[in-house]
Order: sequence, then structure tokens, then C-alpha cells
Amino acid sequence: MTEPIIYLDYAATTPVDPRVADALAAAVREEGMFANPSSTHRAGRQAAAHIDRAAGQLASLLNCDPERLVWTSGATEADNLAIAGAARYRADRGRHLVTMRTEHKAVTDTFHRLEKEGFDVTWLDPGADGILDIDALRQALTDETQLVSIMHVNNETGVLQDIAAIGELCRSRGILFHVDAAQSAGKLPIDLTQLPVDMLSVTAHKFYGPKGIGALYIADRPGCHVEPLLVGGGQQRGIRPGTLPLPMIVAFGKTAEIAAAEQAADLEHATRLRAMLWEGIRDIDGVRLNGHPSRHYPGILSVSVADVDGESLLLSLEPLCVATGSACNSKSREPSYVLRSLGLTDDEAEGAIRFSFGRMSRDEDIRHAIGLYRSAVERLRGMAPAA
Amino acid sequence: MTGDPYTAEVRALFADAAHAGTADGPGARVDAQGVSVELSAEVSDGRLASLRFRAKGCPHLLAAAEALCRDLEGKPVTALETPFGADIVRRLSVPVEKTGRILVLEDVAAALYRQLATASGA
Repeated sequence: MTEPIIYLDYAATTPVDPRVADALAAAVREEGMFANPSSTHRAGRQAAAHIDRAAGQLASLLNCDPERLVWTSGATEADNLAIAGAARYRADRGRHLVTMRTEHKAVTDTFHRLEKEGFDVTWLDPGADGILDIDALRQALTDETQLVSIMHVNNETGVLQDIAAIGELCRSRGILFHVDAAQSAGKLPIDLTQLPVDMLSVTAHKFYGPKGIGALYIADRPGCHVEPLLVGGGQQRGIRPGTLPLPMIVAFGKTAEIAAAEQAADLEHATRLRAMLWEGIRDIDGVRLNGHPSRHYPGILSVSVADVDGESLLLSLEPLCVATGSACNSKSREPSYVLRSLGLTDDEAEGAIRFSFGRMSRDEDIRHAIGLYRSAVERLRGMAPAA
Repeated sequence: MTGDPYTAEVRALFADAAHAGTADGPGARVDAQGVSVELSAEVSDGRLASLRFRAKGCPHLLAAAEALCRDLEGKPVTALETPFGADIVRRLSVPVEKTGRILVLEDVAAALYRQLATASGA
């Protein structure tokens, strides 16, 4: 009989909260909910009201004006729209952009594309703890700089950047600041009335919502605008045209509503599980924590262990579902570029395991993970030739 | 979309690597392609009475090493010098980017054969 899986890969995607699934199912089934929210007839207006309600729920979570939210297919599209859209919109003012090497591929690949279009991109490296040095950012900025994009929580290490300080610096220089908050929205408090952030990408499936729906917040500030990636239809003020996926948006709204209510409890739960996991494995010879010991989102724990092949370790850990790097990278078998940016050797990066957990994770899952990890490391080291 | 990167045989060999260890006899080791492989053998009457491996590498390599030991135990020592890499690559559906690691295993087997041949004065 196949063993039941133990899912500790919440940074890749989370299970859908049953309350969200119910809201999604109801939205698909409910009479009149199929109508196009852009239609002006009564059914269309009813559909539009549901969209407005969902926007209000997400806006409440982020403490922003719901009118400033643009629905997208997820964080990847939101990142693309923010970065490419803003860079192109402001290209006549300057063509210098700044980001970090440890960003998600949705960000780095967008910047690579912009480089091919003639933009000049400065790639900042973090310190060994994954944190961006604000002085390094300050030195990178020029009179030509139009956009800085730095993620809130790193998807591989959980490292938390000081987006308030980064935003203040950008704002003082008149530079747009975009934040990829795919790993933090719904999990950590984000108050857009307080944070100097111009654009922020979020996605539902990282905090118990469905895949296929995200949003981009665009602040109502002079010069803060994006050139659309898509054309046709004129929906969402032409910024992101296309018929809105009402059931997905309703589900995203419910996701945000639940997150707003349960964020503190979720955070406390993740903090406790992380402490339990780290305590259970930290004494293994050659194990190290990747990232910052305190400036992190607690639902992600990345560890490396010496003298063990990462792929064999991952297979040995089954039925535990964890990651060796970011999910988008796991098929390449290349050592993680994020971990190498922190100074890890190829061997250390290949041996890294990312545990990530959240609302539905149980103490027994963590205990099982500790046992599997310890026995897998011991077995593989026992099979290896002497170092 | 991709499915399981490992065949049922790779999974079985990896999970039950009974030949991981060191035999009471000569050994050879190669470190290359990012992996380390060691083979050792106990020889009796010109045959491989016991063949053991130690390896640090991916599941395909460990499975291939286990398969090799299972296949060659009881065979004449000369079996070690017969190239087997291509057969194992096919049998275990080893991805093309990992075939170099299987050739490392083949190199170790050949090195062990040379050692055994030298020791026996052949």
C-alpha cells in the first residue's frame, strides 16, 4: 500500500482551504454568476458586484484602495506586468533598473528580457545571510534609475527583506519600487498605507487559495503606471484586459478574508513548527541553516547538509514532499542560483532541502519529517566512500 | 508535464541497496563527474565471491552500482572488464545528462579488475 504523503512544500503551493473551495464551487454553480462582469445588464451587474466584494476583501488584507488592484493570472503575470510595464512606460525618463540575483525567475527572467530590449540592469547580491545591504542599493541608484524590484520573502530561504527601508530610499529618489510578495501576502502583515511600495504582486495559491488568480497593486501616485502586456477588451482600465474569471476572483476574495482573520494564528503556528523542526535536526553533523536566523518568514526552513547528494536525499525522504530548491527550478538539477548567491558551494546547494509548512501542517508531520531526514542522511553517508 | 524520473527498478534498487558496503578484499575508487564511487571485491577461485560498492551520487548511480554488484557476484573476475554502461543506461532509463556518472562506475569496475589481475599475477 502506498504511504500517505506528508506535504511540506507550502512555498511551492498550499492546499486550498476548504472554505475557499466551497466559495469557489458556489461561485461556479450559483445562478447568474456566469455572467460577464463587464456586461451592463442585471446579471452582469450582479457579477460585477461579486468582483467588487472580492476586491474589497483583498484590499482589506493589504490595507489599500480596492480600485488600485489589477487581477492577473498569478504572481508571475503580476511581476511581468509590474516590471516590464513600468520599465517600458518610463523608458523615456531613463533605462536603468535594479534588482537582486536571488529574486524569483518571474522577476529575473523579466529583467533579462528587458536587458535584451536595451535596458541596463544592476543585479545586486545579498550578504551570506540573504539580506540586501541598503548601502549597496543606494550606491547602485543613478539619475537614470526608474525601477527597483525586491521581493519581500525569498521563496527558497524565507529571508525577509526590509521593504520599508528600501521603499523609503526609492521614494526619496523618485524611483518606483515593486515588491514580489508572493510568499508573504496573507502570511505576514502588509499595510500599503504605511509601506512606501508602488507596486506589489500577490497570488492566491500561496496562501490557501486556488491556482490561476493573482493581483497587482499599483499605487495612485504620479508616474506610477504600467504599459499593458496584453491588448483587447479594455477591462481593468486597459491595464490587464480580458474577461474577468469571476469564480477565481470570488475564491481569492475569500482566501484574503480568511487570511486577514487568521494571519496571527497561522504565523504563530508556523513559528512553532519551524522551531520544532530545526531543533530536531540542528545537531546533525554538517547541517546548516540557509538564510538569516531571525529575519525570515517562519513557514520556510532551508537547510543544507554536507557529504550527501541532494537528489538521493530527496528520494530517501519520500513520502515527504519537500523541495531541493524553488519548484520552478527542481527539474533542472542545476544547483540553486539563490543558494549559490548566498555563498554555498555547488555541493552544499545541491544538498539543500526546503521544508515549508503552514495552516494545515501538523506536529506529527514535523516529527515524521525529522525522523525521515535524520535516517536518510545517516543512510546515505553510510553508503558513501570515506571523504 | 513530467512523471516519475525513476523507474520501478531504480526505486527498488535504491531502496534495497544490500550491496552497499566494503568487501573483504581489494578495492578501487574514482571521483569524477561530481560523484564518488568505490568498488571492492572478495575473490575465490577466480570468481567474485562478494562485490560491494560505496557511492555518493544520484539515485540512478546508486541503483546502477547495486545492480552491477547483484549481476556480477558469482561471476568470473573478468566480468568486471566487460563494458556494461550502455546496457545499464538502457535498463534503468538513466537520463542522458547522467550517463557520465554511469561511465564512472564502469571506470571503477575496470580499475578494480586491473587491481585484481595484478594481485593474482595474471
